[in-house]
Amino acid sequence: MTDESPNDDRTESRDESDVRSDATDRRPDGGTAVESDGGTDVHSDGGTAVGTELTVPARKADYEDDSDHDFPGMGTIRRWFVTTNHKDVGILYIVTSLFFLVLGGVLAWLLRIQLWAPRTPTTTVLEPLAYNQAVSAHGLIMVFWFLSPFAFGFANYIVPLQIGAKDLAFPRLNALSYWLYLFSGILFGVSFFQGGTFAGGWTMYAPLNVPTFTPDVGASTAVLALTLFVASVTVSSVNFLTSMHKMRAEGLTLRRLPLFTWSILLTVWMMLFAFAALLAALIILSSDRLLGTTYFTLESPAGSMLWAHLFWFFGHPEVYIVFFPALGVMAEVFQTFTGRRIVGRKWFIAAMVLVALQSFVVWMHHMFLTTINLQIKTLFMITTIGISLPFDLMVFALIYTMLKGKIQFKTPFLFVFGALLLFIIGGITGVFLGAIVLDYEFRGTYWVVAHFHYVMVGGVTALVGGLYYWFPKITGRMYDEFLGKLHFAIYFVGFNLLYFPLFVAWETPRRVFDYAPALIPWHQLATIGAFVLGLSFTIMFYNLAKSAFSGEPVGDNPWEFATTAEWAVPSPPPLENFPGLPTYRDGSLAFRSERRAIEGGTATDGGSSEVRSDGGEQTDCLRDSSEVRSDGGVTASATATPTDHDHDDHHASHASIWPFVVGVGTFLLFVGLSGMQDAAFPEGMMGSVYVSLTVLGSVVTLGSLVAMALEPFTGPELVDGETWPFGDLEYGKVGMWIFLASDVVLFGGFIGAYVFTRVAFGWTAWEPIPSNPIPGLMNTYLLLTSSFTVVLALVAAEKKNKWGLVASLTTTFVLGVGFLVNKGIEWDHLFHEGLWLSSNIRASTFFLTTGLHAAHVIVGLIVTLYLIARAMRGAYLEDNSSVEYFGLYWHFVDIVWLFLFPLFYIL
Amino acid sequence: MVNTKFYTIIYVVLFVSATIQVLVEFAGLEYWTAFGLIMVLSAAKAILVAAYFQHLRWEPRSVTYLIGIGLAAALALTFAASYSIL
Repeated sequence: MTDESPNDDRTESRDESDVRSDATDRRPDGGTAVESDGGTDVHSDGGTAVGTELTVPARKADYEDDSDHDFPGMGTIRRWFVTTNHKDVGILYIVTSLFFLVLGGVLAWLLRIQLWAPRTPTTTVLEPLAYNQAVSAHGLIMVFWFLSPFAFGFANYIVPLQIGAKDLAFPRLNALSYWLYLFSGILFGVSFFQGGTFAGGWTMYAPLNVPTFTPDVGASTAVLALTLFVASVTVSSVNFLTSMHKMRAEGLTLRRLPLFTWSILLTVWMMLFAFAALLAALIILSSDRLLGTTYFTLESPAGSMLWAHLFWFFGHPEVYIVFFPALGVMAEVFQTFTGRRIVGRKWFIAAMVLVALQSFVVWMHHMFLTTINLQIKTLFMITTIGISLPFDLMVFALIYTMLKGKIQFKTPFLFVFGALLLFIIGGITGVFLGAIVLDYEFRGTYWVVAHFHYVMVGGVTALVGGLYYWFPKITGRMYDEFLGKLHFAIYFVGFNLLYFPLFVAWETPRRVFDYAPALIPWHQLATIGAFVLGLSFTIMFYNLAKSAFSGEPVGDNPWEFATTAEWAVPSPPPLENFPGLPTYRDGSLAFRSERRAIEGGTATDGGSSEVRSDGGEQTDCLRDSSEVRSDGGVTASATATPTDHDHDDHHASHASIWPFVVGVGTFLLFVGLSGMQDAAFPEGMMGSVYVSLTVLGSVVTLGSLVAMALEPFTGPELVDGETWPFGDLEYGKVGMWIFLASDVVLFGGFIGAYVFTRVAFGWTAWEPIPSNPIPGLMNTYLLLTSSFTVVLALVAAEKKNKWGLVASLTTTFVLGVGFLVNKGIEWDHLFHEGLWLSSNIRASTFFLTTGLHAAHVIVGLIVTLYLIARAMRGAYLEDNSSVEYFGLYWHFVDIVWLFLFPLFYIL
Repeated sequence: MVNTKFYTIIYVVLFVSATIQVLVEFAGLEYWTAFGLIMVLSAAKAILVAAYFQHLRWEPRSVTYLIGIGLAAALALTFAASYSIL
């Protein structure tokens, strides 16, 4: 498979396929060879439709009418507020992230204007503190609100298509992720108007991150905005992992997964664990800022070290989280535009898996200049150098693919090829930083700045290539090739003009607007480069905006050698993506009749019609004539067939307003909370505003969550496909367990923070806060008993014993309330002894960690109330999965207490 | 699904071991011995809850590994960070 000529079959899926030359001819116009039978003119786009402009809009309209009568069209405003479809959400992500690119870019221009010449505090363009804000906001916006969401726009749009799914497993949670993302970004915007946003750098190092040094309300808002963003990421991670593991088409094993989807799969796994650690760090930081705990203050025994550990435990995987999607785009685009399957495909995948694992054991290379001991520095230097090796393999695989293939220099390839060059420079300069002795010299200089811009903006370069690559798929129209190439040329020149001089001027101190006069020419070059790079995007925006409406219409597959499944469906794909149930059972993509799939579980070829093939992917559409729903051209014949509705009993829903409302609610809640300091709201008018917003936000959030739970919504059905490693578990259970795995890391971060702080304090010198462990023991009894009653509830539900179920759940609720009351009495007692959250670090860790646990109990009790109300009306006797999933959560909360109790009460 | 009686036995075991855990504290053992015992008892209870109440025993093993990976990440962070300042 590795020594073929460039035009040979590439994907594994084609290994076994018999190529029928008459049906699979690739057309030079990028169109599709059509072969149809049975009188159904099945597929009339691509080759037959180029230039005629008749098919795309009509076809979509027909399809929607066929599938969901309530779902508003793409042209309506309402559609974009209620949509839960993965492709719509993908578009929303891409557009929103590009907005944040512009915002972050304008901030970067301000920085570069300031750096045109070395400044003293009196000769600045931006005031000194405004400069600090701009530096911090630029970093935060670009890393969090632009880079990952941009990549996840593509992931949303492409991954379900590549795995053969009609949508993600939890469509409303997907919409929720988007709205939380958008509102977290708006929240960050609000922070600028609350006295000033966070000014302590994007790494938010302690103790600069506590109100003593960054007192503005806006700084708290920025921290809360990031927290909300992490909530969005967590929801999204659970959704993607469930979908990618459970919803792959039959025959699409992980080994056969397209490389972009592979890169996203690994990205999301890293996100799940890394962002949970960041969430722990951010909740602790929010608590320090709003409630007055003292984790990161100067008085804390190792506050700044604690932040660095928590932040970089997230922060280093984050580097790969933002880069992996770019790598996936590079792999896809390299394959398509060299006409060559990537060299060493399985080694490429193995290298990515290795990096994903290693990424969690390199974080202390960001801390070589802290007081960590030499042994651990050495260990982390070794792991850091080690992580560069799999990347070498990937880079060589890409280079060798080019050498063996026949390159077509289209715009996507140019960007991706440029990205490879930039990444090589960025990677090599990073190895310098991984060496302890060199890091002593380079840390805190523009060497670091230049290095990570080469890596991260190198990744952006590949993603821009991805935007051009998938633009025809998303819009159904081709961009202007000349303007695309022009964009690349100016972008690439601007990029290097901006970032390369920073290596030369590396002695410039980071985050500071004063530098040695000898470096002025280099900084002026960089500033010019910044404008060239930034303005090059106007060409892209013009090109894409114009082409989206008046570009040349394209068929399924405008690229000669594209082989992944998204190119086997119309551009843009219909609402439910596929004209049947995708399967790779025979080694290549085909579509089964869903009706027969449901009945028999396996497809047979009988009665199928050979429909089409395109662009290098041999596409067998095994279906009877009733299943040709993907395009308008066949609606007539489809509706004429009486068996059409056998399967259509399952009507997936695509619209819900509640994710948007939850987004609004959390936004209001977080704006309200931002006003808090030392566990109190300020006096006066502003204080009242903050209190009102907090209350209003809580009500809206809770109400909309309940409404969302009650709303009838049909998600994608469970289909027979590849489900490794989760077997036949339902989506809900897999999702719950994946969420709990991230919650393990969240609590792990809290307990880790406690252990670390106590080690720094002196383990045995540390006395537990409660002098008497008996109240804690009582609470252990209460929680253990409540866990037992949840088990009894499930047993009752299985026996269809309605009142047994209600009684067990009610007992659980009462026990949970008992737990909280007991804790309340204990806390009240401690408060009267004069202990408060801010008294000392022992009190801070005690109140916050057990408080986080109590918050989990409260969430569980709200869910219990909901379950009781529904159970009284006879719910859960037929389908008790909700009770079961709640049980998983409740037992987890119990388990956490089993560790908190000894750690905080006894030891 | 296993019957109610079986779950009751698990519950009683958990209840008793929680009591023992506190008794260990009052037994006046050397600190690190007591520490080890108490943590082992916590871990044992956690495993019981996860295996039977969350019925991990009867789920695909991959779910257990999934939680194990999360736990390993948290422990790696805790121990490596604590070691780094020793």
